[in-house]
Amino acid sequence: MVTELFPRLVTLLSFAALGTAFLLIVCRDLAGQVRLFAGQSLILTILAAVVAAFTRSAELASVALALALLKVFIIPRVLTRAVVKIGLQPAALPYLGTPAALVVCGGLVTIAFYVMAPVAASNPLPTAEAIPIAFAGVLIGFFVMVNRRRALTQILGFLMLENSIFLLALLATYGVPFIVEMGVFLDVLVVVLIMEVFIYRIKENFDSIEVDRLGRLKG
Amino acid sequence: MILGALVLMPLIAAALLVLARQRTWLECIHALAALGGLAAGLIIATRVWRGEVPTAVWGLLRADGLSALMVVVITLLGAIAALNGLGYIRAEYDDTHLARVRSFFALFHVFIFTMLLAVTTDNLGIMWVAIEGTTLATAFLVNLHNTPGSLEAAYKYLILSSVGIALAFIGTALMYYAGASHAGEIAVNWTSLRAAASSLNPQVVRLAFAFILVGYGTKAGLAPMHTWLPDAHSEAPAPISALMSGVLLNVGLYALIRFKVVTDIAVGVHFAGPWLLGIGLLSLTVAAAFLVASRNYKRMLAYSSVEHVGMICMGLGFGGYWGVLGALLHIINHALSKSSLFILSGNILLKYQTTDIRRVRGLLRASPLTAGAFAAGTLALLGLPPFGLFMSEFLIFRAGVESGPMWVVMLGVALLAVVFAGMLGSVNQMLYGAPPEKVEHGDVLRWSLAPLAVNFALLLVLGLTFPHTIAEALEQALRVLGVSHA
Repeated sequence: MVTELFPRLVTLLSFAALGTAFLLIVCRDLAGQVRLFAGQSLILTILAAVVAAFTRSAELASVALALALLKVFIIPRVLTRAVVKIGLQPAALPYLGTPAALVVCGGLVTIAFYVMAPVAASNPLPTAEAIPIAFAGVLIGFFVMVNRRRALTQILGFLMLENSIFLLALLATYGVPFIVEMGVFLDVLVVVLIMEVFIYRIKENFDSIEVDRLGRLKG
Repeated sequence: MILGALVLMPLIAAALLVLARQRTWLECIHALAALGGLAAGLIIATRVWRGEVPTAVWGLLRADGLSALMVVVITLLGAIAALNGLGYIRAEYDDTHLARVRSFFALFHVFIFTMLLAVTTDNLGIMWVAIEGTTLATAFLVNLHNTPGSLEAAYKYLILSSVGIALAFIGTALMYYAGASHAGEIAVNWTSLRAAASSLNPQVVRLAFAFILVGYGTKAGLAPMHTWLPDAHSEAPAPISALMSGVLLNVGLYALIRFKVVTDIAVGVHFAGPWLLGIGLLSLTVAAAFLVASRNYKRMLAYSSVEHVGMICMGLGFGGYWGVLGALLHIINHALSKSSLFILSGNILLKYQTTDIRRVRGLLRASPLTAGAFAAGTLALLGLPPFGLFMSEFLIFRAGVESGPMWVVMLGVALLAVVFAGMLGSVNQMLYGAPPEKVEHGDVLRWSLAPLAVNFALLLVLGLTFPHTIAEALEQALRVLGVSHA
């Protein structure tokens, strides 16, 4: 009974995580985007906890705990602080409009299923079915990074991409070893803190956080 | 024991530097840590070359022949850049900017720490964390001057490198998955992955290597993922540019090499080689195109790094004994020559206050010592005898003639000729003519150039003779890579 339910639950939660990535495309306000990231992280935490319970892995349970602490509380708080400091403003300013962006993302999901098919097919784990979904999240994270002009939205794209990689590792191998995961979390935290400082400096220097203004270095 | 000390020393130094309040203290700790690191690095290398494989921290740290080679390159050039940095930072910031001086010195050692950790860990996940760490440590160093240009460079560098290396993490996770599912429960250790390599699922390994190539290729500055490199390397302070271009790129290559060994066993040698050849050739082409019309001498040196990383990739792509030997030798030679040129470019910048080639005139008259060394370094970098790069490029093309498609060799040589003409033209413009009137005669930072004597001496040694110790060290690294004498 439980063994039948487990893969379905995993797939469902993975789809929910992918759904938040799609919502990031639609959402036009920075504070809302930060909340979306926190929501996606929460879904991943639940997913990690479910896998931990199923495999009875204490290591994975502590990874889930660290994930919740870092990505549901600390990083969203840091980003919200940045949003308040630089002034709330409409976040989007995409190169492609929402409908076109959604079409592109649909295509990316298809590509993800094609590329990850050999991995999903050869994987004996019950979670394997959802591997392409995680990879689709990676591709959409990329797309958000190149499609948005605001520095902060690029950071959110990067964080969602990172979340999807975590999900990918979780589904393919029940997570990378504990010490590596902690190192990755530390790196992510430092990246966010450094990027926050850069956002302030960009705001000071260029009086805007539009990445378009960064175009002096050529050749 | 000593391995742990080697890795921890720069970290402790960084912590002390954050606490230190006086400039004398800052400078003393900085110099001592760099020289101490060099001593520890040499001790470890001699041990490895005697046949030991030192490990520490429950096997997380492990140094084999390839690690030892990289450790020597990092600590040696780290020490040279550190000693130069003392003078360079003095010339740029007086005691009223002590906070900047402190962050320069502290981040310098964090940077060294992350590179040393990357090349001495057996765990591929930790290696990834450390390589991402190099980006984080250098992001603020690129932005040290806090000008709009350096800010732009640092932001792009941070974003592009982080994304690139995120791809490398997918590759690492897939490799781990391939290992875990086929060889039972194994850690993400390179040694265990290599031992299990022949039983890995080739399809998954192929996919993993594609991610690794793009991911660590970004970090190594390979085209088309090189776009951050000319910005970041040209905006950073000279000693940091020297390390980023001369040493950090090698760390990216090092990661690629480790994964290539596993991939070669799992999928066969005919998979990774052509990819590396292609990406190497593309890097050479892109670099040649930009070098023909370079206007900024620091960017010129940065594009030259893209070219040389491409050369190294081609050596690995041709493979075989001579190809890999040439690639490893080229890593050493490029590190020696490029770091000295970047350090000298710092001198030129301090003198002329511009990075524009057209506004640097009469360097030979204005600062003869800098100009002479810059000219010699350029000739070395372009692969002229009697310097070491002539030998390593020759070995790489020799491997190509033996094994590779001939047209690749011919295209490679042609591109090198284009690079030769482009760079020599630009450097000539800088050397001759009459210096601008406001520029005074005489070199800035004479003593800070003294460490470069080591670079030039070694370049000559590697070009003219081939000492037994160096040959033995390279032999050891080649054995780790599973390449034997034909």
